[in-house]
Amino acid sequence: MRRTALEPDPSDLATSRGHESSYPVLEASSLRLQFGSTTVLSDLTVAIPRGQITALIGPTGSGKSTLLRTLNRMNDRVKGFSHDGDVLLEGESIFGRNVNLMLLRRRIGMLFQRPNPFPMSIGDNVVAGVRAHRIAPRKQHRAIVEARLKEVGLWDSVSGRLADSPFRLSGGQQQLLCLARALAVGPDMLLLDEPTSSLDPGSVETVEALLRKLVPALTLVVVTHNLAQARRIAEQTMFLFGGRLVEFGPTAQLFESPNEPETMRYVTGRIG
Amino acid sequence: MTVTCSEHPASLQGRPAMRRKVADAAALAAGYVALAMIAVPTIWVVAGVLQRAVPGWSWGVLTHTGAAGAGGLENEILGSLVLTAGTLVLAGGVGVLAGIYLAEYATGPAGAVLRGASEVLAGIPSIVLGYVGYLALVVALHWSFSLAAGLVTLAVMTVPYVMKSTEVALRQVPSAYREGAEALGFSPLQALRRISLRTALPGIVTGILVALAISVGETAPLLYTAGFTSANPSAALVHRPIAFLTYAIWTFYNQPSKSAVQLSFDAALILLVIVLLLIVVGRVIVSLSERHAETR
Ligand SMILES: Nc1ncnc2c1ncn2[C@@H]1O[C@H](COP(=O)(O)OP(=O)(O)OP(=O)(O)O)[C@@H](O)[C@H]1O
Ligand SMILES: [Mg+2]
Repeated sequence: MRRTALEPDPSDLATSRGHESSYPVLEASSLRLQFGSTTVLSDLTVAIPRGQITALIGPTGSGKSTLLRTLNRMNDRVKGFSHDGDVLLEGESIFGRNVNLMLLRRRIGMLFQRPNPFPMSIGDNVVAGVRAHRIAPRKQHRAIVEARLKEVGLWDSVSGRLADSPFRLSGGQQQLLCLARALAVGPDMLLLDEPTSSLDPGSVETVEALLRKLVPALTLVVVTHNLAQARRIAEQTMFLFGGRLVEFGPTAQLFESPNEPETMRYVTGRIG
Repeated sequence: MTVTCSEHPASLQGRPAMRRKVADAAALAAGYVALAMIAVPTIWVVAGVLQRAVPGWSWGVLTHTGAAGAGGLENEILGSLVLTAGTLVLAGGVGVLAGIYLAEYATGPAGAVLRGASEVLAGIPSIVLGYVGYLALVVALHWSFSLAAGLVTLAVMTVPYVMKSTEVALRQVPSAYREGAEALGFSPLQALRRISLRTALPGIVTGILVALAISVGETAPLLYTAGFTSANPSAALVHRPIAFLTYAIWTFYNQPSKSAVQLSFDAALILLVIVLLLIVVGRVIVSLSERHAETR
């Protein structure tokens, strides 16, 4: 799956081991995240397994979004944010001096809580990233639009109005469009921050089914407040609480026989 | 525990309280007064110009040059168009770039200084700017009465409007668009060009339109800097005066001959048409760029 290194010169050792499927895609080591002098998360060491869905759960304010936005360096320009420790993508630090942010974000895509299509036609939305990264010549855009919209199951309902505004689509359809847009640049990984919390139950089901289909080709990290959703879609679950990673393991185990008392209390609805 | 709310209306029927009706009526009346204050003078001016210009109208004014109230208005029309186009390029370019700088890059004192300076500039009466332009450009730089002197003066006058509207329009671009572009791997410049500027376009166009309307309608600063001539505009930027419509309106009206007064009204009519066309072009651009806007 891997095409491009983050740095223009990919001479690091990591390249060779990147192909082993058992090797984690993304690793955080001794990561500490803070805003000003307030530490949000500290001492976070974790490896995100390849080709699986990892759920990120925890009460509000536990740093789920902050962690997620650190992984594609969206926090870089946020005032007061600073980090310590490192994050490795295929063994390569995402904070390295020569890292190309555009490439990093092409490989690690993101989906937001509220669908955020761009104010351009539905078709242009799908290929917005393709254009920005000059992935394909213009004459292939049409085919890309069709392929990606089919992939997210939106083609049948929008094929007749590709030139229309995306804001006339339903919320669920808009989120699927954003997903198609993110997939069109060919990411290895997607970060999703409560991707279904603004959607109706029907759309939630559609999006969840779609996410299930994206693995193992992609690696997904999904922030969710909906514990049932974590259980439905995620192989692995990570529980953040009190400024640290309390527990990380296979979803079933974390929910049914957690190792930590805090996890137990959270998954049984007694905190958060 | 049950709480009974005595004020809760038992039925949907009923009249709103008297006070609310009076307030509604007052607000409505204020709205009509405001509308009238804008509409009446507009209609009055347009009707007045039409009534005086149309009866004696001859298409020849468009194709003949002239001066001192004789001949046609070709030189004035072309001169005004050149000045307007020049303002579009100069004030539009500088104003939009400065607005982008203020909205996207300026942090701390640099932005505050630029913003303050532009507010002061916008507050200076145009005749003063014209006089300063005369001293600096026409005299000190030896440009004489010329296109360049007129243009630079108009640009200095109108840049604040373009800058302000660009800054405001860019600041109103939803952060969700920017974040989406960033997360998709757009470079900052791509995000600016393809997302932010595109979204802000209606506001920017409106600002430029105001600038153009001002530049085509100004007299005082141009009298000091552009001079006047009976010849059509040439390629010369300096040392050659240039004609403009407001000069004709202003001078010919005070001349004794009937033909001069007629030309003055013709010039006013042409000016109105140009402004109208500017507005129409602006509206078309705005509505085209808002095709996919969220608020539609
Ligand atoms: N830009 C910021 N500046 C300062 N503090 C911030 C900023 N963003 C987040 N925080 C703080 O960091 C902590 C973690 O916030 P974060 O948004 O990561 O929580 P979360 O787990 O995603 O919560 P939620 O479930 O409500 O989305 C909170 O205490 C929050 O107030
Ligand atoms: Mg959050």
